[in-house]
Amino acid sequence: MNRSELIIQIIALATLTIACVLVWVVTTEVFHVEGEILSVPMGIDSGSDLIDRLYSMIPLLCVAMLLSIAFAFYIEEWLSETTWYYRIINQQISILANIPSLIYGILVICIFLFQVKEFLNFTLVLAIVFLVVPVIIRTTQSAIRGVDLSVREAAYALGANRWQVITDHVFPRAFPKITGGIFTVISRVLAIAALLIIVCELRTSIIQDVSSYEISSDVFVLISLALLSCVLSSFLQINRNS
Amino acid sequence: METNNHSIETKNLSLWYGDFQALMDVSVNIPSGKITALIGPSGCGKTTLLRCFNRVNERYGNVTTKGEIKILGKNIYDPDVSLLELRKTVGMVFQRPNPLPISVYENILFGLRIHSPFGSLTRNQADEIVEEALTSVFLWDDLKDKLKARATSLQLEQQQKLCIARLLPLKPQIILMDEPCSALDAKGTLAVEELMGILAGKYTFLIVTHNMAQARRVSTECIYMFLGELIEHRETQALFETPEHPKTADYVQMRYG
Repeated sequence: MNRSELIIQIIALATLTIACVLVWVVTTEVFHVEGEILSVPMGIDSGSDLIDRLYSMIPLLCVAMLLSIAFAFYIEEWLSETTWYYRIINQQISILANIPSLIYGILVICIFLFQVKEFLNFTLVLAIVFLVVPVIIRTTQSAIRGVDLSVREAAYALGANRWQVITDHVFPRAFPKITGGIFTVISRVLAIAALLIIVCELRTSIIQDVSSYEISSDVFVLISLALLSCVLSSFLQINRNS
Repeated sequence: METNNHSIETKNLSLWYGDFQALMDVSVNIPSGKITALIGPSGCGKTTLLRCFNRVNERYGNVTTKGEIKILGKNIYDPDVSLLELRKTVGMVFQRPNPLPISVYENILFGLRIHSPFGSLTRNQADEIVEEALTSVFLWDDLKDKLKARATSLQLEQQQKLCIARLLPLKPQIILMDEPCSALDAKGTLAVEELMGILAGKYTFLIVTHNMAQARRVSTECIYMFLGELIEHRETQALFETPEHPKTADYVQMRYG
């Protein structure tokens, strides 16, 4: 690793850390003013309430995915690889995409359990964005890079412009892998949702002082869906020759 | 020699990749309707020069060009030049056959489709164009039953011919070839060379090759380049038999390279 790469890495990490600290401060300090801790039910009393809330996040999820795909195309096709901001963005996405989803889960639970009702949606939105965006960008980027250079060269040499190359060749070629990335993300989101439901139900049963706790069927459904989309995603991301 | 006999004229063309100067003051006139070969050791700027002529070099970024390139009498760096039109006039065949991973039929029509308004091509016209293009590269008999097959599933020789065929519907004037035969076997090479011989006259060919025997076989004029400089440009036979420049002599007599 040469010096400029090291500097890029440090800048990427530093800006990310600052961003994370800011988010943390905003969610815990600013909103904490009206928050009451633990003993007060927080608007979600059971797993099924939570599931309803998660359902309401689906449109957001779709929008986040589409925007991430668009952004990935933008940075791969329009930004030059040698510019410093490309390298910083790339580095940051790399770091974010490699964070295990469980860490987001834990953060969400912490914020989630101790905050008041009004900020629940905000927290969920935040979690979903962090879970979804970097991974989708990453997989889309690698899908775009996986498109053979000769295909681009051929199309450009025939006079196609950038849009024609993207819509006619790059996107159709990259599409299976992009879908694979979407399924990866879906499985991540489902797994975190399952975890949240367990925590929620446990908490409810503790508050209500129930002596035994049974994991609800929702959790099993979510986990099996998560596993299914994992299988789909690995199937879609297998390298096929043109 | 009058200018109108030249398809491509460059004047003091220099090109840099970042700090590295790849072409130094190249001034060359390429005759119309003939096959001109570019020879020289690796890294001497042959491909770079070739890629200047349809401005595909620009895509790599960090490229600076100075000097003048006139194609069919028009400076291609003029602001009013459309890249689209330029690449329509100047077709390019690459080292590795690179048919698009779609059907043979669509490969041939792709160029035309992007250059004409959507839906302006009727089914019959399209069929005719495909047949004509494939016939002129002698592929029609082999491929007429395989038009829907994926172009990447063909033999390499057929792929390379297809790459030539897909330029033809655009009615190019100039065809640039970057070592078109290096991925082909002897039979494929021969077939592509024959094809060039037949198509020359209708089109101006500029071919980069490492194979000197090939340059001798196919070209009427030959250009020897060395480290970004144009050393010698003469008729092929003269260049090979009585090279004027000692560097050319070294190269064509295989003492170097």
